[in-house]
Amino acid sequence: MIEFVVKRALWTLLIFWVVFTITFFIMHAVPGGPFSSERKLDPDIERNFAKKYRLDEPLSVQYAYMLRDYVTGDFGISMKIRDFSVTEIIRQGFPVSATLGFGALFFALVLGIFAGTTAAVNRSGFFDVGFMSIATVGIALPEFVVAGLVIILFVFIIPIFPAAGWGSLSQLALPTLCLGLPYAAYIARLTRTGMLDVLSQDYIRTARAKGLLPRTVIVRHALKGALMPVVSYVGPAVAGILTGSLIEEKIFALPGLGVHLVQSCEQRDYSLAMGLTMFYTILLCTMTFIVDVFYKLLDPRIKLEA
Amino acid sequence: MFRRRILPITLPLLLIAVAGWTFSLDRLPPADLTFCNGTDIKTIDPATVTGMPEGRVVAALFEGLCRRDPATLKPIPGIAERWEVSSDLKTYTFHLRNDAKWTDGSPITAADVAYSFQRFLLPETAAEYAYQLWYIKNAKRYTTMKPEVGEPIEIELPRGDDVKNTVRGEIVRGTLKKIETRDVKNGHGQTETARIFEVEHDGTSKRFCGNDQVATPGSGITLCAWAMPSFELVGVKVDGPQRVVLTLENPTPYFLDIIAFYPLSVVNRRCLETHGSPQWTRAENLVSSGAFRMELRRIRDRIRLVKNEHYWARSEVRLDVVDVLAVEGGTTMLNMYLTGATDWITDVPSAAAPILMKERPKEFDPEPILGSYFYRFNVRRKPFDDPRVRRALSIALDRKEIVDKVTRTGQVPAYSLTPPGIVGYEPPQTAPESLTEAKRLLAEAGFADGAGFPPFDILYNTQETHKAIAELIQDRWKRTLGINVGLRNLEWGSFLDTVRLGEYDVARASWIGDYADPNTFLDMFQTGNENNQTGWGDADYDKLVEQAAGEADPKKRFAILHDAEAILMRELPIAPIYFYVSKDMVQTYVQGFHHNLRDEHPLWALSIDREAKARVRAGGGAR
Repeated sequence: MIEFVVKRALWTLLIFWVVFTITFFIMHAVPGGPFSSERKLDPDIERNFAKKYRLDEPLSVQYAYMLRDYVTGDFGISMKIRDFSVTEIIRQGFPVSATLGFGALFFALVLGIFAGTTAAVNRSGFFDVGFMSIATVGIALPEFVVAGLVIILFVFIIPIFPAAGWGSLSQLALPTLCLGLPYAAYIARLTRTGMLDVLSQDYIRTARAKGLLPRTVIVRHALKGALMPVVSYVGPAVAGILTGSLIEEKIFALPGLGVHLVQSCEQRDYSLAMGLTMFYTILLCTMTFIVDVFYKLLDPRIKLEA
Repeated sequence: MFRRRILPITLPLLLIAVAGWTFSLDRLPPADLTFCNGTDIKTIDPATVTGMPEGRVVAALFEGLCRRDPATLKPIPGIAERWEVSSDLKTYTFHLRNDAKWTDGSPITAADVAYSFQRFLLPETAAEYAYQLWYIKNAKRYTTMKPEVGEPIEIELPRGDDVKNTVRGEIVRGTLKKIETRDVKNGHGQTETARIFEVEHDGTSKRFCGNDQVATPGSGITLCAWAMPSFELVGVKVDGPQRVVLTLENPTPYFLDIIAFYPLSVVNRRCLETHGSPQWTRAENLVSSGAFRMELRRIRDRIRLVKNEHYWARSEVRLDVVDVLAVEGGTTMLNMYLTGATDWITDVPSAAAPILMKERPKEFDPEPILGSYFYRFNVRRKPFDDPRVRRALSIALDRKEIVDKVTRTGQVPAYSLTPPGIVGYEPPQTAPESLTEAKRLLAEAGFADGAGFPPFDILYNTQETHKAIAELIQDRWKRTLGINVGLRNLEWGSFLDTVRLGEYDVARASWIGDYADPNTFLDMFQTGNENNQTGWGDADYDKLVEQAAGEADPKKRFAILHDAEAILMRELPIAPIYFYVSKDMVQTYVQGFHHNLRDEHPLWALSIDREAKARVRAGGGAR
């Protein structure tokens, strides 16, 4: 286990460096710069700008400066949200994305596992066909359509939730629902497949032969095995869901990280784009690592290799 | 047992922990006025802001010598209670009021004004709007670092690492004796000219250079950060604690309008130098000069403004607490407005606009503002070098169709670059739309029925409205003139670069006026101006715009600018399309809200009719 952790840590550092380097050069290869605007600046003012943000240095020097800053843990000041450092932007935005993400994931897991299990047990029955059709529709429908429908339903027709904004639990309900639904649909399908696979195995037949209640067989014996594909899906999904969703954040006016990520790229906010990319990378690597450990806990047959 | 429960236990726990963390933020009591401000503001530093959303916040937090009347936009007293203008319109003397105070209660003095203006002009501040103050004598040479031999110079040495980044480095003052130049390769491999300044200082001669390849140790040249004409040459003079005298290069009739512009607000030197940038902008550190102070700022969520108890006109300020929400989408804003979550929204989705205009005319009544939407022709490319072709394309347009079918919010078809509404200026109109005339002109230029007209593209940046307009125009030109038009869309950053480099045929463009004067639209089409970008140039036009800049008589000046715009509208390096309108939707209980050309609605002038608000809320909100 210790060897695994150490090896993995070294690999992760290498990944960070590769991601950093690729991001840096792709970012600077795109035309435009952080100070492009419809109003062309006076060349002298523009030169003052470039000097202030070291944009007049050769790319290799800028790269070295930025790498040095990152190694020392300094993510710099955002070039567009100029009153804040990248770290502050992440510190303010991440809890929002995380609350939303965890809420959505929790909702997705409960709904997805329940629906998937029910469908598998009732194979080809009413619930199976019903749930799986809904799941397919859920995966296929774009987020903004779901969000639009939900707003019309719960904000205007039955006015129980606020339209947008951040700060109270009721404002969390609709975005969580919208964000969680496609994940729930996916988890339901994975659970169903996993469950069907497990149900045909010998140890389930043994459990049934022992005379255990069908519910006990499903919940105690089958479910754990059936969740393996879900666990491997959830790890990376957590990283994705935590860094925020552009569409939910725009529609519900939430101050999460999703919009920051997209806007920083659009506006060539080099420091923020890099900061968020690296943050996302760290998160993704951590989540994958946790999933690998969970695997081991869920199934002792699995050997951990870095 | 433990292992089995790890997942079902940890997930809810994590969920609760994270939710607790997030909502541990204070629950805020409701504000008197809540409005959706569009995208989150980039900064609250007056010197470096540019956009409308920033303007709304900065104008509430900071104040300059003058303000603008919310209804007429005329300059009215701000920190200065009165001013005198010399008869040649080149000297302005501002008298500061006794009770002008910062949010910490200390007085605002003439030195604060001079500090703020100097900071605004300093190259290190990199103010995008720096050119607004270039009307002041020698101000441009100060920002652009063009000292002249024989005059006093100020050399700023690199600041030490232990100093806040808002404090200037050590200043060496002297007389500039000589400027030497040396060619060096810069970071991008291009050759650059480094200037070496020989300065007489304390009776000795010293050499300074801002380039570290020249000012190497042992070269006898000292490395400096910046070198500019001494600030004493710039026309900003402090005359006692309460008097500021500004001297201009030229008589500039709209100078007060510029002084009232929020980038020229005063900032607190002590606050800046104590905390450094960007920490001085934090709610807990900020000392500001306006009607409101900042209580809270959450990125992309809200800014909470609270009435400044030390503000000189505090008795006129009717709102105690204002929430500025950073909400981007028009649909989201409208949803919030309709459910009573906000009292004022600054944009509405164009799909809903016609319905809202009909059903809620008191709340949503778009009016023209100082903005123009137009197409640029790249006159460096054939056949757009031929004015007949440009004219043909312009008069073949159907502008009414564009505003009726696409923009749909009461935009006005444009036949001039300068929008209507500037008092005393009647913009000259370009030729009216006429298909027969368009065909005739095209035939005259050698493209009868479009035969032989080279295929070209309309370039626009990715956005629904721009696309819809480009498609309409493409179809119109194809159908009526028989020419082959394609569409090309680029993402914003690439679009700007492409237009700047002149790698387009026809490109969409827009311009929002900085001040209520035709000059803000016309000076950019002078030959070689950075914002011209069409390659067009006309000696007569340049001369007229120059002449207007030096003209003190407002009537004559407008006549000269009228002549200039007439040239532009005859030559048509651009085709005007429509004028922008304001898109504010405001509850009727918000009082003091006036339509104006700049779409400016200062918070100090607004108030809430609480009874009316209660009535609206009781009647099912705004639903």
